[in-house]
Amino acid sequence: MNNNDQFQSTRRHFLASNAMSLSSVALAWLLNQDNAFAKSPRPELARKKFTLDAKPAQQPARANAMISLWMQGGPSHLDMFDPKPELQKYDGQTFPGEIKYDNAAQASATVLGSPWKFKKHGQCGTELSELVPHLANVIDDVCLIRSMHTGVNNHGQSIQALNTGQILPGRPVLGSWLTFGLGSETQDLPAYVALIDPGQLPVMGVENWNNGYLPALYQGTVVRPQEPRILNLTPPARIKGEVQARYLSYLEQLNKQHLEQRPGELDLEARIASYELAAKMQTAAKEALDLSQETAATKRLYGFDDPACKEFGERCLIARRMVERGVRCVQVFTENQRWDNHNNIRSALPSACKKVDQPSAALLADLKQRGLLDTTLVHWGGEMGRLPVIQNNAGPAKVGRDHNTYGFSMWLAGGGVRGGMTYGETDDFGHKAVENVVNHYDYHATLLHLFGLDPEELKFEQNNRERSLLEGKGRVVHEILS
Amino acid sequence: MNFSLLKTSAPTLAIAVAYFLATSLSGEEITYEKHVRSILKTHCFQCHGEGGELQGGLDVRLRRLIAKGGDSGEVFVAGKPDESLLIQRLRDGDMPPEEIELRPTPSEIAAIERWIAGGAVASRPEPAELNPDNYITEEERAFWAFQSVRRESPPAVKSRARAGTLIDQFVIAKLEANDLSISDDADAKTLIRRVYFDLLGLPPSPEEIDAFVNDSSPDVYERLLDRILNSPRYGERWGRHWLDVAGYADSEGYTEDDPVRPYVYKYRDYVIRSLNDDKPFNQFVVEQLAGDELVTPPFENLTTDQAEHLVATGFLRMAPDGTGIGGVDQNIARNDVMAKTVEIVSTSLLGLTVGCAQCHNHRYDPISQEDYYAIRAIFEPSLDWKNWLAPAKRRVSLYTDADRAKSAEIEAEAKKIVDERTKKQNEYIEATFQRELAKLDESLRAPITKARSTPDKERTAEQKKLLKEHPSVNVSAGSLYLYDKKAADELKKMDDEASRIRATKPVEEFVRAVWESRGKALPATFLFHRGDFEQPKQQVAPRELAVLTSAKAIDLPANDETLPTSGRRLAYATWLTSGKHPLVARVIVNRIWLNHFGRGLVPTPGDFGALGVEPTHPKLLDWLASEFIANGWSIKQLHRLIMTSTTYRQASLHHDEGDMVDADNSLYWRMSVRRLEAEVLRDTALAVSGELNNKAFGPAVPVMADRVGQFVVGKENLNAGRPGAIVPMKGEDLRRSIYIESRRSRPLSVMAPFDLPRMEPNCTSRNASTVSPQSLMLMNSDFALTRAKRFAERIQRDAGDDVSAQLALAWQLAFAATPNNEELAEAVAFVEGQTKHFAANPAPESKDKKKVAPADEALASFCHALLSSNRFLYID
Repeated sequence: MNNNDQFQSTRRHFLASNAMSLSSVALAWLLNQDNAFAKSPRPELARKKFTLDAKPAQQPARANAMISLWMQGGPSHLDMFDPKPELQKYDGQTFPGEIKYDNAAQASATVLGSPWKFKKHGQCGTELSELVPHLANVIDDVCLIRSMHTGVNNHGQSIQALNTGQILPGRPVLGSWLTFGLGSETQDLPAYVALIDPGQLPVMGVENWNNGYLPALYQGTVVRPQEPRILNLTPPARIKGEVQARYLSYLEQLNKQHLEQRPGELDLEARIASYELAAKMQTAAKEALDLSQETAATKRLYGFDDPACKEFGERCLIARRMVERGVRCVQVFTENQRWDNHNNIRSALPSACKKVDQPSAALLADLKQRGLLDTTLVHWGGEMGRLPVIQNNAGPAKVGRDHNTYGFSMWLAGGGVRGGMTYGETDDFGHKAVENVVNHYDYHATLLHLFGLDPEELKFEQNNRERSLLEGKGRVVHEILS
Repeated sequence: MNFSLLKTSAPTLAIAVAYFLATSLSGEEITYEKHVRSILKTHCFQCHGEGGELQGGLDVRLRRLIAKGGDSGEVFVAGKPDESLLIQRLRDGDMPPEEIELRPTPSEIAAIERWIAGGAVASRPEPAELNPDNYITEEERAFWAFQSVRRESPPAVKSRARAGTLIDQFVIAKLEANDLSISDDADAKTLIRRVYFDLLGLPPSPEEIDAFVNDSSPDVYERLLDRILNSPRYGERWGRHWLDVAGYADSEGYTEDDPVRPYVYKYRDYVIRSLNDDKPFNQFVVEQLAGDELVTPPFENLTTDQAEHLVATGFLRMAPDGTGIGGVDQNIARNDVMAKTVEIVSTSLLGLTVGCAQCHNHRYDPISQEDYYAIRAIFEPSLDWKNWLAPAKRRVSLYTDADRAKSAEIEAEAKKIVDERTKKQNEYIEATFQRELAKLDESLRAPITKARSTPDKERTAEQKKLLKEHPSVNVSAGSLYLYDKKAADELKKMDDEASRIRATKPVEEFVRAVWESRGKALPATFLFHRGDFEQPKQQVAPRELAVLTSAKAIDLPANDETLPTSGRRLAYATWLTSGKHPLVARVIVNRIWLNHFGRGLVPTPGDFGALGVEPTHPKLLDWLASEFIANGWSIKQLHRLIMTSTTYRQASLHHDEGDMVDADNSLYWRMSVRRLEAEVLRDTALAVSGELNNKAFGPAVPVMADRVGQFVVGKENLNAGRPGAIVPMKGEDLRRSIYIESRRSRPLSVMAPFDLPRMEPNCTSRNASTVSPQSLMLMNSDFALTRAKRFAERIQRDAGDDVSAQLALAWQLAFAATPNNEELAEAVAFVEGQTKHFAANPAPESKDKKKVAPADEALASFCHALLSSNRFLYID
């Protein structure tokens, strides 16, 4: 039966009875939303319908929302999360093993010990460097994984691996899968939100929130750092507020006069209602993005009084507000290459940490205090770590580290993950993950498990092929579950 | 039925109930063929008769086979449904097995009960054996869509004055039978707007409206139609309708890679030209199905006509196609292409869902699995999955011998530069190496030089270690730029020069086409068990669907010796367009009607079968089909026929009587109000704002993701995966939507919410939904706001300084109507309010230091309101 074939006449009656209850219509960005109204003479043969209505998980779930703080570029695990005495011992000497370099012209085999001091923190005693003092305050809620691995030394491919499950471009990202599997708890806000940095788009641009072969309904919606914050949902600054209110009221006047001359034309009535609903969504978005409702204490917690981290703090706070209002998945991105310390690591890395450390820790504390941390999974990490050897050996101020996807660190908190623990290990130089290795498949398998999604059930048919996030791979890392 | 029977004694009552059960509500006898078989065909035949092995030893395809029973013995007791195993199993839900989602309805089960209660009779003696031909029952054969087109004279009507054309007689007769009448004529302004949008997908200009309204000559309307039908914009509008059913896309689809389909635009242009030229539809179909068979091979030094015939076969290359994409299972992908092609051909031309019979006999229509493979066999020599042409190889060069000679000459020029460049590159690499070497300890230099000059395979472990410890000496062509930017830049310059020379070659263009491979044995087509190509069963010859053979279908040749090809497609196309095929003319006529009225005479244009909806006006459908054929399959003539009817010209207003009797307007007591389609909406916004670029034909204008992932018109300029600088489009972005790339994975964001179809594989009718993302797009999108601004600028250019004149002109351009005094006063009040606000809140100075006047902004806001209003979006 042809997909697009529909018995048009029934739709009219259906619309007639539903014109005033359009609120069930999801915020469907690019969806060919005729699905919502399609009625087939044989309902069992009608095409599949996709909505953002909340759906129950298939298994008991620990998490129902996710906030992912995406540190693109590759934060240096060796200088933040993964202390290595051997590294310090060999500082300045030739690296005794094999290394794969990305940039041959600047490569050297000279070991670079971490310039920063590590210390134990919290009751758990996890060692962290002095670059992340705020994280140290909440470390008892954090599960630090020190054995991440993707094995592809490119930013793009490694991002794909951690975002979509495989190194190939064009597949749906995790956020799309979560909203596809679970829908959203709110129909007035986008189900899946990407908060981008005012600096630059992340590497791979829009691929980072791309729905791939899933329906466009599950694409992430970008919240921009300036007005209009959400394209098409919120108006550009110049026509916001009074201007738009007058425009909408004049439009309604035009439409009502037009309808008066065409009594009984139900589509026209439905469109008037759809403008009302659109305005309602605008209000909801405006409210969710309005940080003036937050207390001074909260703002201080997120670092609003420190110019170095205010902007990132705002986005972390917006992430919390979104999750509070039922948004399923929020990603907060740092700009491109922020963490890509090929050189000048001594100055660039502290500045990157300064930008995100306080807000990230604040987000955990705030979620916890509001009772949201139990059900909100927070992820902090990039697509790679750095090498134990020097890149750009042009004097202490200029040295950096090259890419390393064979062993790096990231952390998870809340949403059913056990706090106050570390998991996995890299070798003596922090070059390769060697114990309890967690690759991108395992990471995703664990996330699906926390959300109660059965990887076998969460699938999508494309050209008679069943597609899924894991495609049969990955193990649930049970050891890190609470 | 006589209700007094109910008062009588129990035995009489039992007889009465039996009588009731044995008859349908209309009182006719319940028979297997008429009332039961279609239910069992839908739910049971697959396991009990058709699937090879009989489940439970039971075959239910004939009454006598059911009577034989299965492994569990008898399945029915005639006259006693309660004692019949068949009914028990159905009632208990044991059958069909619970994993089958499609369940028989209670009324379907009741029908079977009534049949058994009435004695479980058959209409006639049943065949001794079942074969594809007699497997179709008389009832199925008698289905309306399989009968030849029958031209009948239109019925007489009472209101003869309103029946200006024969079409109207058919329509009015039906209205009168329902105590309804046709509406008054629409006024001239409404009519001209309707006609423009219908035929061109664009609004009439104020001058065109005035000329029409003020012309009182009797044939003014006919002349208007002639003039519009001659517009080159006509083919762009109606070409889009055909591209929908053909499943046109500028990309391959199938996987997320969705590679671009080069040269496919020539097929789009062919469709537009064919419609503009009013190419007879029969010829149009023959060219698309078998254009290659009209050209004598080899396909070299082609004439324009020959090239066009080949381009036309692009129709058979429209299906999503993964066979050129790495990592795709070729056998699956190739068979998918064939299946989708059969689906496109059958839904577009036959109005039948033949594709449903790929794995098993059609559940509803009398189309057997063998039928499906017989149709596939027609296309197998050109889409041979065992001898497949990869997408990149499906092209025929338009290069002539002269082009080729010229090109070789230019290549020799470029080669000289390339050789020089290679020499230089080697020198630079060597020099860089020497510099890096000089940085190292002297003792290392000789061994490293030796190690480096030794081929990788012959290097000793020591040499390898040496190179690894000093990675900076590994200078190569790929890494030279990291050491010596100047050298790299110089090499780049030489590359550019070689490219420049090569760019002067005559451009080699190609057409995408279908053809049969020559000099090879014809491929055999097999019926695939359950549609699985790994389970081939009997060989199947090309032929028409069995149910249509009674319509005197010609025999299709397996291999026509008089042609260089098998001749299968040419013979099939000839038969389809012979005028005797029961479906082809009906299907296209219905499609044209659909695009004039928003609804087909058959409301399901892609399915004329049992699951479709029967025609509301069967006699009109047949009359139109026969008239269409008699007029030489001229589509433009058909437009004239339809558009000069009173039915088409009537007003669109509702009235209670009509709404009570026929809310769907399926009887045409008024013109239906229709929303602009996605492309028409975009084109019209551009036309009204004065920006539309009417350049026709050529490669598609590209679509890219913008910085936040919206798909916009633009040339992709990625830098490490991120959108780079915006490439100026030089007005290409303002072309009609049919020329904008339709990449399956990149639906244009401004059009997608307005029911832009996804081509998977084609679209036989569009929807017109009403949802809030559409409103948000119109309220806030960059597209809408930019159009509003340009619209306002245009108004200021064209209407002078007087605000009322400005607003009146805007109104006229957007709505093809003049505002009345009250409307104008409200418009002025709105603009004053906005002006006041903008004056109190001046705009920040723009980058080009241009000051934006509050009045300008207010006018743009007014234009914005017009462009988002229902009067703009709907056609009366």
